[in-house]
Amino acid sequence: MTDHRDDLPGDLPGDPPGDTVRTSDDDWFLRAAARVGDLASPFYREERQRDVWNEASAVGLQLVLWLGTAAAAAMVWIGGRAALPYALTMFAVVGVVSGVTLSYARRLGVDVEAPARVFTPRLVPYLLLLAAFLLGLVHAVPGTLPNSFLVGAAAGTGFAVAALLVSARARRRSATP
Amino acid sequence: MGRTSAAGRANRVRAARTELGLTQAELAAAVDVTRQTVVAVEAGNYAPSVYLALALAAHLGRSVEDLFGDGPAAAADRPHDTEVHS
Repeated sequence: MTDHRDDLPGDLPGDPPGDTVRTSDDDWFLRAAARVGDLASPFYREERQRDVWNEASAVGLQLVLWLGTAAAAAMVWIGGRAALPYALTMFAVVGVVSGVTLSYARRLGVDVEAPARVFTPRLVPYLLLLAAFLLGLVHAVPGTLPNSFLVGAAAGTGFAVAALLVSARARRRSATP
Repeated sequence: MGRTSAAGRANRVRAARTELGLTQAELAAAVDVTRQTVVAVEAGNYAPSVYLALALAAHLGRSVEDLFGDGPAAAADRPHDTEVHS
């Protein structure tokens, strides 16, 4: 048996050098997030309670993303130009919530943006909602966005939807024995 | 099925607890978790952390392998109640 007593953790042959996982003590963002999330609460000490709450929070986050984007899209389509500040505020809230969530996970070494996780059929309806919001913006204020942006957004959405459908079909085929 | 699930894996926590005449509440208090967590662990609906597994094993006088290992007795000891009541 090889004696590795002198090796530092993660420094065994084959381990990528310097690959460490941060803790909340290292990073101002994580410290601030811990305050916002009240992560030092005694509630989190009970492990199943913590796990279940984490799952509940994941459900809540998804609802905020979906309902927030849907509400923003509905506002611009129903309220037109007058609803624009409210719709953009709502969309900004959705963006900040998603950004903070992704950043928190990324800083602690969790790759939530791995293509296998992101590019799933679940993304299709969200992209359609997003497209509805962007088109609603144009509908509410003609000339808000340059035509080239709209063409690019439409093409990008179409490409993403097509890629998702192709990958979902390939996955189904490879899963079939 | 959520990530807290033990995917229905059987264990012998319930058998060990009843053998010692402990209630779920007593065991929960001894290892510093809620009774619902003990219910969920016994029902195979929650995979405890290594620390909770060690605490349960120490309190029940068994090894972690005895309680959570894949031995043949595990299937026989599978409890029937899977509900977690608050």
